[in-house]
Amino acid sequence: MSSPGFEAFLARLYVDEAARRRFLDDPRGVARAAGLDEAEVDALARIDRAGLELAARSFAAKRASLTAAKARR
Amino acid sequence: MTDGRDRVGLAWRPELAAAILTHLDRVDVVEVIADDYADAGSRGLRPLRTLAAQVPVMLHGVGLGLASTIDVDTRRLEAIARVVDTVRPEAWSEHLAFVRAGGHEIGHLAAPPRTGATRDGTARNVERARRIVGAAPLLENVATLIDPPGSDVDEPSFIRDTVTAARTGLVLDLHNLHANAVNFGFDAADTLPRLPLDRVGAVHLAGGRWIGRLLDDHRHDVPDAVFVLLEALAERAPRPLTVIIERDGNFPPFASLLAEVARAREAIARGRARAASVAA
Repeated sequence: MSSPGFEAFLARLYVDEAARRRFLDDPRGVARAAGLDEAEVDALARIDRAGLELAARSFAAKRASLTAAKARR
Repeated sequence: MTDGRDRVGLAWRPELAAAILTHLDRVDVVEVIADDYADAGSRGLRPLRTLAAQVPVMLHGVGLGLASTIDVDTRRLEAIARVVDTVRPEAWSEHLAFVRAGGHEIGHLAAPPRTGATRDGTARNVERARRIVGAAPLLENVATLIDPPGSDVDEPSFIRDTVTAARTGLVLDLHNLHANAVNFGFDAADTLPRLPLDRVGAVHLAGGRWIGRLLDDHRHDVPDAVFVLLEALAERAPRPLTVIIERDGNFPPFASLLAEVARAREAIARGRARAASVAA
């Protein structure tokens, strides 16, 4: 497993809160609609939900600090 | 060059620059974030060249996203190549992470799915980096708050297999290893023998904070557990160690960082002494 499409799906989950909400409401449906294969759908159905929220929050904070640092330059 | 001895240094940050330069008798090596200079012209790179004339420099990348099934961006590699060509560091490094995909910039280091496909994609990307930059990056294990979805091997296997497939060395970040051990319930010390210790080209130490899991934020002191891991590593590592203490913010008085440098030297010395006594 692991493909450009799977990575793109994960990246969107990490940065797009609305997409993340839709996914958490229906992991299999949203993953299938994105064209992922059944092994990838299964993997996403087992996702570490607590970790996903913590990681997404951490990535958002990092992006905000990078934006602030660029603005200071 | 290590001259066959273990070394300890600091990550180069603007807030620490003056203090590092006045304490080069206690700082063996510095590590500079390559991405900070990726857009710099020759004038912008001149201070780095001057720095490299005073102290051994390693360059560290954070934005390539090499651990991916997606090809690394050639323009980003060319920018790193310009920095490497100008500074002539001892080595350069990147992370076992992906940072973007499908047009989404994650903004930080995301642990990739630990799979054969990621291993092979990383090896391809490292080969492209080797070709464009002129040397392969060492690859660093990353901390993660999420158990990487889609993984089919554990972290030590993924690190070992990927670094081997990429024919390069490892930056072993002991705080990242510690954080993952805390977050996902394994023993970091037990993991050390499963890592390619003969390929360790540098070691990172840092600190973090608890947010429901342990976040590697580089804004806190190096915890005791990480010094214990360093001692265990020094007992097993067959090559001289180059250790970098990374502090990115919430900077303490510089004396505190020098105390961490000294503590790292002591941990290495204890580990080396134990190895020598076992061998005798």
